[in-house]
Amino acid sequence: MALFADQLVNGCALGALYALFAIGFGLVFATLGILNAAHGTYASAAAIAAYFAVDALGVPFPLALLLGVAAAAVLALAVDQVAFQPLRAQGGGMLGALITSIAAWIVLDNLADDATGHQSLSFPLSSYPSGMIHLGAIAFARMQGWTILAMAAVTVAMHLLIRRSRFGAAMRAVGWNEAAAALSGVNPRAVVSATALLAGATSGLAGVLGAVLTQNVSYTLGEGLMLKGFAAVVVGGYDDVRGAAVAGVALGIIEVMTAQYLSSSLRDGITYALLLGFLLLRPRGLFGSAAFTRA
Amino acid sequence: MIRYLAAGAALLLAATAEAAPLAPGTYTVGFVSEVTGPVAFAGLSYLHGATLAAAEINDAFYLGSGVRIAVAEKNSGSDAARTIQDATQFIADRSVIAVTCCILSAVAASVKPITINAGMPLVIYGATMPGLPAPPLVYSMTVLPGPKDTATALAVAGAVKPKTVAYFLAADNDAFKGRMAATRTALEAAHVTTAGVVSVLTSDTDFTAAATQAMGMNPDAILIYTTQAPAVGIIAALRQRGYTATIVGNDVLSPVSVFRKLGPAVVGVPFPIGFSADLAATPAARDFVAAYTAQFKTAPDIYSAQGYEAIWFIAQGLKAAGGTPTRDSLAAALAAQKEVEHNVYGGEPIVGGQIDTTGTLIVAWSPDGRLVPWSGAP
Amino acid sequence: MANTLADLWEAYRSTLGFAIVNALFGLSTYAVLSVGILSFATVTYAAAGGFIGTQLALQLHWPTLLVLPAAAVAGAALAWLAALILLRLDSHWMALASLALVLLTRVVAINATGLTGGVSGLSVPLFVPFVVMPALLLIAVLLFWRLGASWYGIAARAVREDAVVAATIGIPARRIRMLAFVISGATGGAGGMALALMLHFLSPDTYFINVAFTMIAAVVLGGSYHWAGAIIGALVFTVLPVLAQAVLPAFEQVLNGVALLLIMIFLPRGLIDPRQWRLRRVRAR
Repeated sequence: MALFADQLVNGCALGALYALFAIGFGLVFATLGILNAAHGTYASAAAIAAYFAVDALGVPFPLALLLGVAAAAVLALAVDQVAFQPLRAQGGGMLGALITSIAAWIVLDNLADDATGHQSLSFPLSSYPSGMIHLGAIAFARMQGWTILAMAAVTVAMHLLIRRSRFGAAMRAVGWNEAAAALSGVNPRAVVSATALLAGATSGLAGVLGAVLTQNVSYTLGEGLMLKGFAAVVVGGYDDVRGAAVAGVALGIIEVMTAQYLSSSLRDGITYALLLGFLLLRPRGLFGSAAFTRA
Repeated sequence: MIRYLAAGAALLLAATAEAAPLAPGTYTVGFVSEVTGPVAFAGLSYLHGATLAAAEINDAFYLGSGVRIAVAEKNSGSDAARTIQDATQFIADRSVIAVTCCILSAVAASVKPITINAGMPLVIYGATMPGLPAPPLVYSMTVLPGPKDTATALAVAGAVKPKTVAYFLAADNDAFKGRMAATRTALEAAHVTTAGVVSVLTSDTDFTAAATQAMGMNPDAILIYTTQAPAVGIIAALRQRGYTATIVGNDVLSPVSVFRKLGPAVVGVPFPIGFSADLAATPAARDFVAAYTAQFKTAPDIYSAQGYEAIWFIAQGLKAAGGTPTRDSLAAALAAQKEVEHNVYGGEPIVGGQIDTTGTLIVAWSPDGRLVPWSGAP
Repeated sequence: MANTLADLWEAYRSTLGFAIVNALFGLSTYAVLSVGILSFATVTYAAAGGFIGTQLALQLHWPTLLVLPAAAVAGAALAWLAALILLRLDSHWMALASLALVLLTRVVAINATGLTGGVSGLSVPLFVPFVVMPALLLIAVLLFWRLGASWYGIAARAVREDAVVAATIGIPARRIRMLAFVISGATGGAGGMALALMLHFLSPDTYFINVAFTMIAAVVLGGSYHWAGAIIGALVFTVLPVLAQAVLPAFEQVLNGVALLLIMIFLPRGLIDPRQWRLRRVRAR
């Protein structure tokens, strides 16, 4: 029983990373209509930035985390300006942006690989809250707890931002129809930039936390999050933050439990079969609204 | 067919007579490197080892005066299609006399039919899939790790006397599957019960759950048969969750980057190794370490040694072929070699195109980051 | 001189071979794109064609030349099945679902040991004369050329522009799309077998994301409004890394990405753009 509870926490922490990643990925897909293959590179970049802040500059971990998140946000904005804005100006479709995002992915992945010297690095144990917490029979790493809390906080904040604020309304308007939004007084350029920043920041948060949890600072960090985060977006629905969060956590738990109680060779199969099943049976995600169409 | 008859005839010649001196000129070895991509960390070591070997061979006039060996490099990023393209370019280049390549077994298996078809000698420097070597045209410079793993596990079991052990296995890696199965059979024959096998995938990044699962089996020792990234992640996760009993690793733990990353977590974890800069025993090995460290500002690892040996092996073949060597005569000469003469292992016999080393060196990282012989303590 | 040319041909023959394989994948992607569908499922058809074709040759000793059409049939059949599932979804979700199919393909490739060799991979000791590759591409080109000029081609263009409008003027949009999937499957299946013949070894990673990205990049680079775009794009995308390596080896991957980015930004409709030709013709008049 203690084993089950331990694995449940492990699954939640892993799923929290998927969820954080999926929130940003879905945000960009819903608002900007971009299937961004470079989304994972923001996570790697954040982890690398935070690592060097800790290792080379001796910055305390919480500050390094913020630095990493900020770096990822700025990077996402830069990628948007360089790779997506020119296509947007020309009215290019989803396909062109997919290609430029792949281009950005290739460039950033290779730069990340160079930055870490083709190796996987990890934060020194002493640099972050590394101990274990024992709650009754359950034991989990301190950082796992922080990760789950961070995910919950981000989910609530993002949900409120998108559903309750004027800015969120503007985002949804741009996602539905950019021209119509502009006519009704929304500044699409500002909304686009803000969306890119937010997406980069959430991906970056997933990156730094993931780097600590999995002791891996390298370009593979973002790649690993990418596929599962993508699954979470589809299952949860890309136009709803809550869906992405729930689906991300659920995927994490399912993955861990499949490996523990069934077989790890089935693990990915179950994840992706679930993904396909959801696409067929509930193609708008957990909380998806049937009225969502893209003109 | 004729080519093999000719090769056979040349083989007889090479075996019976001292070779004629080599015709002056530069003989080029095509080196397909993997300095980008998933195994770039090792790829650079292989390339550095190879360039150092070529420089040493030329500086010492090993092949005779006016005879030089050159290493022409093309990076494949570990991609099979790119490797094939690089190999065919080398095959088309008349000045290239042999090709050396490949860390990943799947890539090596793709290139092998192509070089065989073209009659090009191929020396595989890193891939460990059994069955790859096929003399006179294909050779492997990596010691098959299976027997060393088993020997290590038995030695550790003898010292620590565990009743039950758990295994970590990279389930999507054929080579490790075989290595684990052999070790498990040997340990079970020595009355060490298997508590369970935790499967992971080579592309996994999170090992918290896997570590929890293994510790849930309450084993007296844990043995790890995975590629480098999972092995490192598993050890980190096990120690993080408070596992203090014996962990047995494998050769992927030998690069110094592993110690830099894991620090105290990996100290004392025993694993077998073919070559270690810290334990260089022979003069050849010590010279290699000194020259390598001077040139590349870092100590050589096992991958550097394998890249180094690949070029020395080809040079040895060239010297044995003598005269104006062709790809055919080089292949025949390589097939006649019984060992790699200039080696850093203290003995490197070749059997069926596959190199081996004598004995098993079991090492562990010391707290100050050096490889030391394993002390036998749990 | 003749010698150098022969050497050059020998050196870059395999590059041309891979370019042709990528062109087949590109055409397969173009086939569905020409009815307005972005699908990554070509990877799945390629895997089916490659593994089934190889097993037909190894287990049942089919002649290698017969294996290529068989692979096309296998791909087409799978594509028909995939279409039954995917055509129920609308465009964004369809793209995502096809990506999910690609991910599942690798899981199947790892676990269906009997067909794929599982993690140990599958050796493909089959050799064909090189001329088979260009011949294969020629057949595909003839097919796409004839189709483009046929009633199907006109209907496909209408469906791509607006499926609803197309339906109102009596074009059976669903049937056209179904057909597009089957064509895509056949081309992808044959491409998968061609890749197997080039690589001589198949592992679960052979047919995976990298193929998906290569083919999409090829189509978009070359232009998604004409079948020739897929071929030109594949050629450029295959040769680019070889060139980049010659120019600046240390940053070749980065250079690849930058080149891709620049082409997309400055030639958003791709290298082959029929609309440009028409505009130019009008201007010349």
